[in-house]
Amino acid sequence: MADTKYIGQNYTPPDLVAKVTGRARYAEDFRAEGMLFAKLLTSPMPHCRVRNIDASAALAMPGVKGILTADDLPDLGPNVERALTNEPFYAGEPILAVAAVDELTAAEAVEKINVDLEPLPFVVDPLDALRPGGPDARTTGNVWGAPMPGGVGPNAASPVKTIKWTGEQFADADEGRLPMGEPTEQWAYGDLDAGFGNAALVLDETMVVQSTGHHPMETRSAMAYWQNGKLYIHASTQSVAQTLPNVARWCGIMPQQVVLISEYTGGGFGSKGGGAVSTCIPAMLSKKLNGVPVMMRITREDENYIGRARTNMSGRTRIGFAKDGRITALDLFIVQDNGSYGPMGDHRSAGLAASIIYQPQAMRWRAISVLTNTPPRSQQRSPGPMQANGQRAKLTSAFIVEALDKGKQAFRWDERKAYSGQRRGAKVRGVGVAVGPHGSGSIGFDSLMTLRPDGKLYVQSGVGNLGTHSVMDLARVAAEVLAMPWEKVEVVWGDTGKGVPWSCLSVGSQTTHAMTRANFAGANDLKRKLQEIAAKDLGGSPDDYELSNERVHRKGAGGGLTYTQAAKRAIELGGKYDGHEVPEDINVMTKGAAAKHAGLGVMGVAKDNYPRNGTTYSFVIGFAEVEVDVETGKVTLIDYLGVGDVGTVINPRSLLAQIKGGSCLGIAHALQQKWVFDPKYGLMLSRRFHYSKPLTILDIPATMNADAVGLPDPETPVGARGVGEPPVGAGYGAVLNAIADAVGVDVFRRAPVTSDLVLMSLENKKRMHEPLRAHV
Amino acid sequence: MAVIRDVMPAFELLQPTSTADALTLLGRYGSDAWILAGGLDSFDWLKDRIKRPRYVIDLSGIDELKGVRERNGGVEIGAMTTLTDVVRHPIVRDRYAILMDAAESAASPQIRNQGTIGGNVSQDTRCWYYRAGWSCYRAGGNICYADTPESINREHAILGADRCVAVNPSDTAPALIALDAEMVLRSASGDDRVVDAEDYFIGPGTDITRMTVLRPGELLTAIRIPGDWAGARFYFEKVRDRQVWDFPLVNVASAMVTSGETIQNMRLVVNAVAARPLRLVNVEQFVKGKPRNDQTADAAGEMAIEGAQPLRFNAYKVPLMRNLVKRAIRGVGEWATS
Amino acid sequence: MGYFLTFGHSPWGQQILTHVSWNLLWASAFAGVAFLVAHASYMVLSAHRKRHPAETDAMEAARPDLPARIPRHSGVARAFHWVMAASMLTLLTTAFLPIAGIKFAWVQWHWMAGLLLTTAILFHVIHASFFMDFWSIWVGPKDIPELKAEVMREFGHDVPGPKPGKYPLGNRLYHLALVVVGLSVIASGLTMMVRVRTPLFPRNPYLFADSTWGFVYVTHGMAGVALVGLVIAHVYFAVRPDKWWITKAMIVGWITRRQYLEHHDPARWVVDGNPKSQIPNPKFQL
Ligand SMILES: Cc1cc2nc3c(=O)[nH]c(=O)nc-3n(C[C@H](O)[C@H](O)[C@H](O)COP(=O)(O)OP(=O)(O)OC[C@H]3O[C@@H](n4cnc5c(N)ncnc54)[C@H](O)[C@@H]3O)c2cc1C
Repeated sequence: MADTKYIGQNYTPPDLVAKVTGRARYAEDFRAEGMLFAKLLTSPMPHCRVRNIDASAALAMPGVKGILTADDLPDLGPNVERALTNEPFYAGEPILAVAAVDELTAAEAVEKINVDLEPLPFVVDPLDALRPGGPDARTTGNVWGAPMPGGVGPNAASPVKTIKWTGEQFADADEGRLPMGEPTEQWAYGDLDAGFGNAALVLDETMVVQSTGHHPMETRSAMAYWQNGKLYIHASTQSVAQTLPNVARWCGIMPQQVVLISEYTGGGFGSKGGGAVSTCIPAMLSKKLNGVPVMMRITREDENYIGRARTNMSGRTRIGFAKDGRITALDLFIVQDNGSYGPMGDHRSAGLAASIIYQPQAMRWRAISVLTNTPPRSQQRSPGPMQANGQRAKLTSAFIVEALDKGKQAFRWDERKAYSGQRRGAKVRGVGVAVGPHGSGSIGFDSLMTLRPDGKLYVQSGVGNLGTHSVMDLARVAAEVLAMPWEKVEVVWGDTGKGVPWSCLSVGSQTTHAMTRANFAGANDLKRKLQEIAAKDLGGSPDDYELSNERVHRKGAGGGLTYTQAAKRAIELGGKYDGHEVPEDINVMTKGAAAKHAGLGVMGVAKDNYPRNGTTYSFVIGFAEVEVDVETGKVTLIDYLGVGDVGTVINPRSLLAQIKGGSCLGIAHALQQKWVFDPKYGLMLSRRFHYSKPLTILDIPATMNADAVGLPDPETPVGARGVGEPPVGAGYGAVLNAIADAVGVDVFRRAPVTSDLVLMSLENKKRMHEPLRAHV
Repeated sequence: MAVIRDVMPAFELLQPTSTADALTLLGRYGSDAWILAGGLDSFDWLKDRIKRPRYVIDLSGIDELKGVRERNGGVEIGAMTTLTDVVRHPIVRDRYAILMDAAESAASPQIRNQGTIGGNVSQDTRCWYYRAGWSCYRAGGNICYADTPESINREHAILGADRCVAVNPSDTAPALIALDAEMVLRSASGDDRVVDAEDYFIGPGTDITRMTVLRPGELLTAIRIPGDWAGARFYFEKVRDRQVWDFPLVNVASAMVTSGETIQNMRLVVNAVAARPLRLVNVEQFVKGKPRNDQTADAAGEMAIEGAQPLRFNAYKVPLMRNLVKRAIRGVGEWATS
Repeated sequence: MGYFLTFGHSPWGQQILTHVSWNLLWASAFAGVAFLVAHASYMVLSAHRKRHPAETDAMEAARPDLPARIPRHSGVARAFHWVMAASMLTLLTTAFLPIAGIKFAWVQWHWMAGLLLTTAILFHVIHASFFMDFWSIWVGPKDIPELKAEVMREFGHDVPGPKPGKYPLGNRLYHLALVVVGLSVIASGLTMMVRVRTPLFPRNPYLFADSTWGFVYVTHGMAGVALVGLVIAHVYFAVRPDKWWITKAMIVGWITRRQYLEHHDPARWVVDGNPKSQIPNPKFQL
């Protein structure tokens, strides 16, 4: 889009003031008459079976209103996670919930419940599960097989299988070389043997990447009640439209029976992509108690366990380089710790990302996704590609070279490189660069908007408001197409009761791409209707009309209708103009929402049917400079720059914040963030928030820089792609590379690179850290 | 009985406004009472329902326990003075900068605004097995979960372990010992005493369930710092995973008096390597009269780690402690002798 | 149960046996003191079990070949006894003072004393098996007549019956109790050393299951508590004036000829008339 008024301009999103003044209401801020509070009783063991629950003492307490167990929840099919269970697969998994007049009473009631548990074999380290005779995380097996034929999506149903590797395959494990037994999935292209044969240098290295909890600021609290057979639920979710059917499924009802309210979400990072299964607990408790409102506030402790985490991966890479640095062959083997549920697909994204980042002439990817008795994983901002840092995908566009050039100059790379590796006092510096790629956009979603007689454009937004502004940004496209002053655009979001169109999941850097396309379609549909109405009333063909100054008028300065007049005419005309007739191809949810808005004004409603050739990927290049104190092992990030190749920039301020913020998550993974399990008991040790060591403001440079090349993607009408994830891998890779540049590539083979790893390696002149063990 | 965490149970909150009243309450409720200062350590225990006192005596309303006062050429800091107030106080800044540095390195600004110096020196260990409510030695059981062939014990002790391998996490404690401070303790029974900061802390050998000599019913009312070390050559350094909101992996605090480049006198303390802050008396003796240079520093560093016994994941603490001791003597960066 | 045993929770929340309740210590100390009082009053009231002086006189006259000093404990044996006594007292004080509220770093002293005791006992077992009259200290069916006689004497009857051999029956019963209790405390104690840090082997509290450890701890605790009682009794005997000659023998190594004849049955404790036997014969004495 050329000559834009809104796209590419900074603006203040309409929800901002409420957020910074505390007026914004999150799920746990809601109160209702007679509301009860729920508390969870969770499994103290990593794997066990509930033999008996004796809640009599709890139920006899004054103020205790009821309990909910797995038996009260609908069966969601084999291997599917439910909110409560009779066979916990991880310590911290909810077994039952108690509702009481307040939390104190509920907690005391939980303490009075006797749950008789039968301990079962468990495993927290994925390699232990693959060892000959090693324990299985489930009684039915230890790994997820490849998705079954006919499955769709990254996490399509897979069978649980049992695979054990041989002692021989573990022979090198103590030296830190990842064993490579039978994988469950693989693909390859090119001639791998020839690639290695032609290589001037072949490396074979193992790297262990940690798991980390998502830990969004807002935990997955929810409040629910029932009225006239309908479930009203206030929940914390990343996506609104896409969460509705999930809530319905978890509660065993129809989507039409659910009203979901989620205007503000305190972050998710992939942990609340389609909502959180635990949110059905207050809903089902409320149902059991005749609809009385039930609030379940999730504590940070609970969030630790049920709040999702990144899959940890151990990867072994054999890589061949030609003399000029070109990668001739790449043989990648990934052991993914899938956690207790899933199946997860991060290992697949990691393989794809590796092929994109390194562009090897030949590549093989093999992987196995292992079940462990650790908390369930879900995609965490840059799931897979961060860890990779397949098949060669055809991309819609990539301007990595431009981004690299831009960044190299802005970062003064050559100047900094000149003094890297030199020691001054106890300090030594290093620089690093990395490309963070990520799939960044889906297609085919719907748009819904109405231009009403009050002269305002109401854009319905079905994505979540998780802090990225994309929930509002998508309306900027409509304002642009309809030449609508931004002050007169009302974004309606966060409440399915108000009618929202079927939208993408607010995950995976999808929203900007998917929803700018959809709203471009919707706005153009509305524009066409305005032109038709004008032509009907004033003669000529619709194409003779254009939009400006809140009018539809003949090209040039001829006669026309104001938007207000046009809206009124649309209501008179009815049919498709005011939304009484809608396109066949839109989703049933959009149809329902359109019905709510029919007759209110001119309706723009359409499905994104624009073509796309290729897979959409966004890229961020990270440039980092670190300083290592060789006497303490401490790594300090001195400077950082992220440069995005993310297509057309919609909202510059927000985009740069995303690049910096996303990079911070990667930096945290490189430097400090982790989670830790005690292997003997299979319990999480890093259960206190500060033990998991998320990044703090003082761990990054006082000023961090970000930029974008701003070249539009030719395969999408607005030219914009998503940006949420690519900076994560960029930050992670750039910092790891910078550390290696400063103190040598042999100092570490696992992340995070904390001072103990660095100091011990430098002190002993060889790597001393645990080579393969997970969760340390 | 099922376990639930992160929900504070009910207790009787007592809010005295004078030390005398606090002591009376302590006398009345003895070991049924929990002393609450800033709550940063206390609330952890209470919210996790692991420690379940019937009475909580909140000291925050006792003004006489707050503030920094001059006393006999030194200062007296009320136990309820917040870490922020300690950091900001001009006398601390001008004469006892090491305490300012130490206090400022603790936790995060929010925690320092709330956390008190009395609480900081009296805080319990952060061993994650113990704090998860596992019934270890420190919790009255008969096992240490942190020192087994499978434990993850990166943060644990390399010195002075006795069954329990937990460490003292305080940042202000080593600074106070370096300054030769004294702890003023008052008790309900009228059995008041003043103990050297160094002796305030105890290891598991002495009492495996406590970190300090504080007995039930006893109150730490003030910390006295003599004038002796005011304005000395100080060194404080704390190594941690994050630059804020993080306990020390190891910290070092020292006060040194030099004449020319000769070390005349020194007090040197390391924390987070043992269950109590360790004053390195042998190193202090050794450096006395020696030139402040690399050789002295190297020898002192080696001496400091004599007898260190690392666990599976904390061997790095040995060179780290050695290097921090070296730095305390020879400095780093602009301080460095070379 | 809770009065005698203490329970804890595993990290999984399962109840596990952890130890004996230290109430038992008080029970045992009480028992020891009660024993002391009872025995002291008995001493005042009851008759002595010595031979009549006349009888002793006659025997003395009949055995002029006997040396004036009859060797009773060899130097080695005495050294063993006192080493054992020292280590035992160290063990008990290091174990129980902290429980009684006197806090100090006791663990290292405790296990080192334990090792010393173990070594001493090992030595003793070997020494007693190969170099001494191994059976002289054991209790067996042949002791029944002695038991009968002793009991009768307890009731004030002047019965003939057998006199004690080298070791009076009470002495031997005491030894037997000590063997049982001592071996339990040592076996459990050595096992428990795996739970603490020593230079000897890697610390591994996970060597056994929780329940096995519970058993080990309870054994150690029970035996330890029993030892308090046994040691109190032992010390009591040792310091009683009328038994002083026995205690003295443990220090100097010999008893007088008259004491020998007065208190022992020369048939059961044969002392060689050869004056050479004044030199303690390790094969023979303790
Ligand atoms: C996330 C986090 C990070 C932290 N990081 C650091 C760090 O890096 N360095 C550091 O040094 N500390 C750190 N702390 C600890 C924090 O500084 C201390 O917990 C705090 O200073 C304790 O002081 P308080 O006033 O909150 O005491 P409280 O928590 O109320 O009390 C602590 C203990 O001392 C006892 N107590 C307190 N005052 C008295 C008194 N006057 N007399 C007798 N007994 C008393 C209480 O009974 C309690 O047992 C951290 C804490 C948190 C939660």
